[in-house]
Amino acid sequence: MNSIHDMGGMEGFGPINPEENEAVFHYEWEKPIFGFFFCLFAGGQINVDVFRHAIERLGNLHYLEGSYYEHWLGAFQTLLVEGGTVTIEEIDAKMTELKGDAN
Amino acid sequence: MAVLTPEIVPGLVAGGASARVVDADLPAKFNVGDTVQMKNTNPSTHTRLARYVRGKTGVVNMHHGVFHFNDVIAHHGQGHQNCYSVKFTMLELWGEGYSATDYVYIDMFDDYMDKVS
Amino acid sequence: MPHDHHYDPLPDTELRVRALESILVEKDLVDPAAIDLLVDTYETKIGPRNGAKVIAKAWTDPDYKTRLFENASAAIAELGFSGVQGEDMVVVENTDTKHNVVVCTLCSCYPWPTLGLPPVWYKAAPYRSRVVKDPRGVLAEFGTTLPDSTEIHVWDSNAELRYLVLPQRPAGTDGMSAEELEELVTRDSMIGVKVIAAPA
Repeated sequence: MNSIHDMGGMEGFGPINPEENEAVFHYEWEKPIFGFFFCLFAGGQINVDVFRHAIERLGNLHYLEGSYYEHWLGAFQTLLVEGGTVTIEEIDAKMTELKGDAN
Repeated sequence: MAVLTPEIVPGLVAGGASARVVDADLPAKFNVGDTVQMKNTNPSTHTRLARYVRGKTGVVNMHHGVFHFNDVIAHHGQGHQNCYSVKFTMLELWGEGYSATDYVYIDMFDDYMDKVS
Repeated sequence: MPHDHHYDPLPDTELRVRALESILVEKDLVDPAAIDLLVDTYETKIGPRNGAKVIAKAWTDPDYKTRLFENASAAIAELGFSGVQGEDMVVVENTDTKHNVVVCTLCSCYPWPTLGLPPVWYKAAPYRSRVVKDPRGVLAEFGTTLPDSTEIHVWDSNAELRYLVLPQRPAGTDGMSAEELEELVTRDSMIGVKVIAAPA
């Protein structure tokens, strides 16, 4: 599909700004996201191509706003909901519950 | 119990999941050295035919073999095709003022290309 | 916690990840111990030191170099490096007249068994969009300047082949052992955005 991910030759994204000696994971929440890829692949909930396509379907604004592992998060949520494994309501409810626990 | 337990992790990591189809009886449509033009195809479904090479003409540089075809696997289908490295000059891709001796290589499947010569 | 000002998470990301993990664990789709092992593996065991061993061996063992170009996956596996996102490898060699650089314009494909997980810049829009159109400008951002007479060859890893650059062995390294040479090989030289400087 002709969405924003297909960006070879596009201009306007600014400087590359490589970070020296960067950590493999920049935030703790990136770690489980990384792990989910293997878990859900082994469990048959996703394959690599379905996963990539789900990232391409995030919506161009969300794609540009979100960081790399946020793309993965969006894709997992899309695929797990489309696959009937999880519902949006379950996710929302759990987020509310966890937020409540923190207060 | 989840499918992926710690005991299985090392084997999965070291073994991976190659997309290559070994012993596929699928003759190559193109030969190394062929001049090929990428199709101008714009599916709304998943494709690995990047927009910047569509309609452009290059040369088959390598034949990688037969691989599962990403475009259909992404839609829960099955299929495999020959995959080739295709070489383009910057001049061909981007036009006047670009180099004829700097190159881009990209991996293209049988269905992505037409033979020119 | 490391913080990069142009890489702040969206407001509900952390909470959403925790929620998803909690649900997936409850449903027996995720084993947290497996996640811990995967994270540890890619933080500490799999990284560019693996690729450096491949490069140093190719520089010092001509028969190995031949095997590397006949079947890169098999030759790399001889050193114990194989698997996820490196199942089908191609090695591309830098010479005096030809310089290679690797990208994935469509996403972030990268040879994990030899280089580990890709850096943020490799996966981000500026690099992915620009290197296939202005490779010399991109290399300049990394402090790399090549003569006009050197051809630049950019490899877009859009299918399942994964590309590794064999950098040129720098001058002034005659007589160095493979172990000593390994120390000189950088991740960025195996992606192709840098060359390896002669040792001081």
